[in-house]
Amino acid sequence: MSWVQATLLAPGLCRAWGGICGVALTGISISQVARQLPRGLHCSAATHSSETALVPTPTEPQQRRTKAVVPYENMFGQAPNGKRDKASFLQAVQKFGEHSVRKRGHVDFIYLALRKMREYGVERDLAVYNQLLDIFPKEVFRPRNFIQHIFIHYPRQQQCGVAVLEQMENHGVMPNKETEFLLIQIFGRKSHPMLKFLRLKRWFPRFMNINPFPVPRDLSQDPVDLATFALRRIEPDLSARVTVYQTASSKDSTDVADPTQPHIIGIQSPDQQAALARHNPTRPIFVEGPFSLWLRNKCVYYHILRADLLPLEEREVEEMPEEWNLYYPMSLDLDYARHGWDDYEFDIDEVEEGPVFAMCIAGAHDQATLARWIQYLQETNPALAQIPVVFRLAGPAGELQTSAGLEEPPPPEDHEEEDNNLQRQREGQS
Amino acid sequence: MSGCGLFLRTAAAARACRSLVVFTASRRPLRTSPPIRAFAKHLFLGKIEKKEVFPFPEVTQDELNEISQFLGPVEKFFTEEVDSRKIDQEGKIPDETLEKLKSLGLFGLQVPEEYGGLGLSNTMYSRLGEITSMDGSISVTLAAHQAIGLKGIILAGTEEQKAKYLPKLASGEHIAAFCLTEPASGSDAASIQSRARLSEDKKHYILNGSKGLTLSTQLECSGMILAQVWITNGGLASIFTVFAKTEVVDSDGSVKDKITAFIVERDFGGVTNGKPEDKLGIRGSNTCEVHFEDTKVPVENVLGEVGGGFKVAMDILNSGRFSMGSAVAGMLKRLIEMTAEYACTRKQFNKRLSEFGLIQEKFALMAQKAYAMESMTYLTAGMLDQPGFPDCSIEAAMVKVFSSEAAWQCVNEALQIFGGLGYMRDSVYERMLRDTRILLIFEGTNEILRMYIALTGLQYAGRIITARIHELKRASVSTVMETVGRRLWDFTGRTVDMGLTGKLGVVHPSLEDSANKLEENTYYFGRTVETLLLRFGKTIGEEQLVLKRVANILINLYGMTAVLSRASRSIRIGLRNHDHEILLANTFCVEAYFQNLFSLSQLDKYAPENLDEQIKKMSQQILEKRTYICAHPLDRTY
Repeated sequence: MSWVQATLLAPGLCRAWGGICGVALTGISISQVARQLPRGLHCSAATHSSETALVPTPTEPQQRRTKAVVPYENMFGQAPNGKRDKASFLQAVQKFGEHSVRKRGHVDFIYLALRKMREYGVERDLAVYNQLLDIFPKEVFRPRNFIQHIFIHYPRQQQCGVAVLEQMENHGVMPNKETEFLLIQIFGRKSHPMLKFLRLKRWFPRFMNINPFPVPRDLSQDPVDLATFALRRIEPDLSARVTVYQTASSKDSTDVADPTQPHIIGIQSPDQQAALARHNPTRPIFVEGPFSLWLRNKCVYYHILRADLLPLEEREVEEMPEEWNLYYPMSLDLDYARHGWDDYEFDIDEVEEGPVFAMCIAGAHDQATLARWIQYLQETNPALAQIPVVFRLAGPAGELQTSAGLEEPPPPEDHEEEDNNLQRQREGQS
Repeated sequence: MSGCGLFLRTAAAARACRSLVVFTASRRPLRTSPPIRAFAKHLFLGKIEKKEVFPFPEVTQDELNEISQFLGPVEKFFTEEVDSRKIDQEGKIPDETLEKLKSLGLFGLQVPEEYGGLGLSNTMYSRLGEITSMDGSISVTLAAHQAIGLKGIILAGTEEQKAKYLPKLASGEHIAAFCLTEPASGSDAASIQSRARLSEDKKHYILNGSKGLTLSTQLECSGMILAQVWITNGGLASIFTVFAKTEVVDSDGSVKDKITAFIVERDFGGVTNGKPEDKLGIRGSNTCEVHFEDTKVPVENVLGEVGGGFKVAMDILNSGRFSMGSAVAGMLKRLIEMTAEYACTRKQFNKRLSEFGLIQEKFALMAQKAYAMESMTYLTAGMLDQPGFPDCSIEAAMVKVFSSEAAWQCVNEALQIFGGLGYMRDSVYERMLRDTRILLIFEGTNEILRMYIALTGLQYAGRIITARIHELKRASVSTVMETVGRRLWDFTGRTVDMGLTGKLGVVHPSLEDSANKLEENTYYFGRTVETLLLRFGKTIGEEQLVLKRVANILINLYGMTAVLSRASRSIRIGLRNHDHEILLANTFCVEAYFQNLFSLSQLDKYAPENLDEQIKKMSQQILEKRTYICAHPLDRTY
């Protein structure tokens, strides 16, 4: 079998082995899986990404844990006050050191610890990772001659080391000098964990700030703050003002009207305000939504107030006032235009969309709440009083609700479809 | 003194004004020569109109005597009685000083003699500006009064208006202010909010609005900067030239809002002003907001035509600018004197300051700038004084831009010579530096004036070469061949000869090299202008970075012409120290020549010197975030 074939087969084999072991040989499955893995390590990085590699996933090892890892499981349960934090985690690690002086079973323990990290909230703590690596016995796994160098030396341990680094990678923890020192002590310079370490060192800094629109790691739990953040994120105009129209009534005891009053937070920029003031009152404007916006693991829904694009014939051409600039001519009176070679906009194809006048995030997506929003908007946009507002809200089943109180007929069928498409596109984008 | 001047003066500017009065019926003076074409506009075509600028304009001996008689007392007054530091500290010109200024006649310098003014020509007015610039606040107050405040009445007023207002304004009994810009509008005339509507009996206009700029000086100007919402002399003035929107029925029957100029007296009622603003420099001048509330203005106080205020405002603004050159030149000359005194006495390391190369360099710079500025100002004043109404607004704008920037640079350098001493509140230089800063801003910010210089010239050139450009665009064979041939010919680096030098040349042989440089620059400037027009056409107004360079080149060309013309005259009539002038002129020309070469190469589309794209992109990225976006140098990613 050639190496290439081996590479291709390796993940499959791993998975097969995993499956078999999972069912039949639960007790020894981890070592079995690990035995298959070295081949993958040797051959290509592709196998690394296989989900069976590295830390056994929570679903698969469920049964294993019950038997093989039980002793270590106890160590994690032994925290004096039952609190799960960094101190108790480190205590467990320390306990393992005391319990097994010869570090027997350290690989199993490290895998377990890696899985437990999230529970203890230490998955982003570099010091803890270093502590975990410190469990490995030093100098034992370092290759001592060239044959050991060529063939993977202590594959299971190396694999475990890689798993630690991989988890660091997944949580965006940058290894430091101490990590490097530990890895050199444990596995030597030319080992796979060291390779992983170097790759992390190379790529992490380069990707760290690649996102031009970073989302903070810990998002606020307060829906108002979260909504403010989300709206600021959608709105490109920095002079836009966020207004908290109303907050949820549970906190607001003075509120008499509605005990279940949801929060409404809106955003509008001065330009949008001006555009709304200019809007032709015979044309309706639409409240649409909810559209989803994901912020890390949270999803918020927003609504927009928008109008259709004016048909070409109705657009007003902005006239340049004759007497405008006292100091220099605003336009030259010449009858030749820009040369084609200097016109860089000739091949830019712009899709024109109707204007968006305002956006909001509300605690409820029903029409009553959104009507409140429009009422609040009216305070700063008196023009809204004259403009008919149509609510096009996608319910849970995706159907549109039309406002009963307004004279506007419900939009025709094809419109709805378009809107749905539009919405789908938007959702896709966001 | 003015009586004899009336008979003896021949080509002086006052004549233009006077002829206006004499031929009131026709309003247009007799023209014997062909219409005057401005020199600067022709530079855009790559041509030098020698007749306009050579020889350097002169005044007669009588005029000279007359003005020097007049200058004596003024200079004495300024050196002995004006306490600039006190004016600066108290933020007010003392009343007795103002009274003395009035009695000297300084409030009516350009008002025609029959209205009680001195009727000075532009040249003489400039000469006097050199003296009055000894105190920035007074200079600004005077300028706001007469260069723009009452200029409207002289330029556009009717006979009755002139007779009614000018005598009192000339004597200083009334002070004038120019109310154009508003807190919200700046130089954007379309956003002027002040309104005047005709009362029902059609005898009055009811004026409402608040004007920012009423200092009786020239703080008005361009609206790009917030500081311009104030009016110089607003608190002192009793006569205001106010611009407000009125409803005008157009020729096609539609009603439009148009700007109309009014003469408003404080006594009309409803005129109030805010408290004087505290400023960085020229603190003695009075700048404040002025409000008009239901002020009743009689219809006969409309200045110019109803709805014609825009033109009036533009004329006033364009006419007031050139005098800054002489004021700054006067200031620079005194500055050189003071700093030279210090540099020659102060010792460091056993050497005098004057022996250090870096200090010497600063004096050379100041002298060059002062020389060029003087030459440009008096050349422009001389052009303006020619009979007819020569349109020298581009030249005036160039003088303003050049002199204000040179002033800032030179005062800065002078302060540097003084080192820490100059930075102290006690030193004169600190005040001068503050006073000088306003020069770059008022009377149209330099940015705006650069646009004006470039666009006005390009408009002129664009019309003249329209046919050529059309042919080039249609790729007519002969035109294209001619253009290509000319380019090849230029490419060989031929020398350009426009007849400035040589046997019948107007430039003295000792300035021949500089003259050749001027010719070469002008020629290639003309070529570049043609290319630019071909490339951008009427949209060139959007290319501000290009326009800035065009304006810079033009200012340099005008400066070169002015110094060459003046130095040639000095040699020929044997003025004292003319060898020094040659040195200054030649140095200035060489420097300007290389600056021009650089700017011209930057105007090439694919030149490596042309960084416009990068500049735009950088600022775009910053403005998008509205902050400086680089990470801190100490930040790290691991």
